[in-house]
Amino acid sequence: MPPLTACPECDLLLKPADLITGEKAVCPRCGYLLHRAREQSIERVLALSIAGLILAIPANFLPLIGIRFMGNSNESTLWAGAVSLFGQGLWLVAVLVFLASIFIPLLNTLLAFLISVHLHFNRPHPHLAHWLRWLQHLEEWAMLEVYLLGIIVACVKLSDTADVHLGFGLYAFVAMLLVNAMLTTSLDEVLFWQRIAELDRKKHA
Amino acid sequence: MLRQSALAQGLVRCHVCGHLHPLAKNRHARHCKVCGGLLHARRPHSLQITLALLISSYALYIPANIFPIMTVTQLGMTEIHTIIGGIFALVEKDMAPIAVLVFVASILVPLLKLLGLSALVLHVHLRWQGNTRWWMRIYRLIVFVGRWSMLDIFMISILVAVVDLSGGVSHVIAGPAATAFAAVVVLTMIAAKSFDPRLIWDNHTAL
Repeated sequence: MPPLTACPECDLLLKPADLITGEKAVCPRCGYLLHRAREQSIERVLALSIAGLILAIPANFLPLIGIRFMGNSNESTLWAGAVSLFGQGLWLVAVLVFLASIFIPLLNTLLAFLISVHLHFNRPHPHLAHWLRWLQHLEEWAMLEVYLLGIIVACVKLSDTADVHLGFGLYAFVAMLLVNAMLTTSLDEVLFWQRIAELDRKKHA
Repeated sequence: MLRQSALAQGLVRCHVCGHLHPLAKNRHARHCKVCGGLLHARRPHSLQITLALLISSYALYIPANIFPIMTVTQLGMTEIHTIIGGIFALVEKDMAPIAVLVFVASILVPLLKLLGLSALVLHVHLRWQGNTRWWMRIYRLIVFVGRWSMLDIFMISILVAVVDLSGGVSHVIAGPAATAFAAVVVLTMIAAKSFDPRLIWDNHTAL
């Protein structure tokens, strides 16, 4: 009997399609995108995660935007957003902003780096499956693109009364956002799970 | 044998890595041999958990809209904004496109998410028949738009950090509605995640 698979969203029993790079498999019943075969998925994830980790430093610590109003000026970083909410006593919101805009995107990039570096060099690791599981669970809680829209709305609101200027941190932030989005689309989960299972078998053989 | 659900064939798909396993004969929980994830044919207590989170979200939606979400002080003048009030203020300042954006993210999306998830829970619980693909579209839309409601919270966090000028010239303070609103967004996201879309199809094929 050939190995079977099932659609995660409608549980239809399916024969797995043997895809070549660039092809995609869609569930015939509910239309769910089952698998999209990516070119050099592991290498791209490795390269993009390194770029993401480097960009995280300027994106987190350099000023995103600054304002000038009646001779006073102030600048703000990604960190300052969460910290000043904490300072006003809204610690629940502060923790959420910290997680969604700083911690989880960084953790995801780090996990993607750890997984892809092990797969690329064919090194088995007892935690590979855990890492990928965490990455899958945390993916939707990284909200960099929503944060960027928040920055845009805040700038428009502020431009009414004050002079707004964009900081270098904002450019690094946008670059980090693009790298993370590319990383998510390059990561071929079916391939990653296959490779993890292969490495596991090799270790036990 | 195809055109059937895996469960009907006595197979369980691992939620995490997608590996198929034969259904356990006893009721003990098992772990996937590939990834170590906990195996179950359908998410356990999916409807109950989704419903509980939905009720909490409905309750929190009220303070989120009544209480002030932020207080803006500029040159001694203090303005208190609720979510709706902030949108009206944008319209008055001729910033209609941004007002529409904030309206969609802060009012329309949370409300449609609450109503849509309620309809999905009712649909599965009462075994409503109808176009399954249409219900599936609602489910996917809810999962997709969920995160975008965080827009208002992020905008406030940026305003609070940047509008903090010395000598009390100008500053922004976040209000209690921010906590309630953030809780609505997070709880509805978890509610959408705990809803198992396969129940929609089980409902249909059970006929």
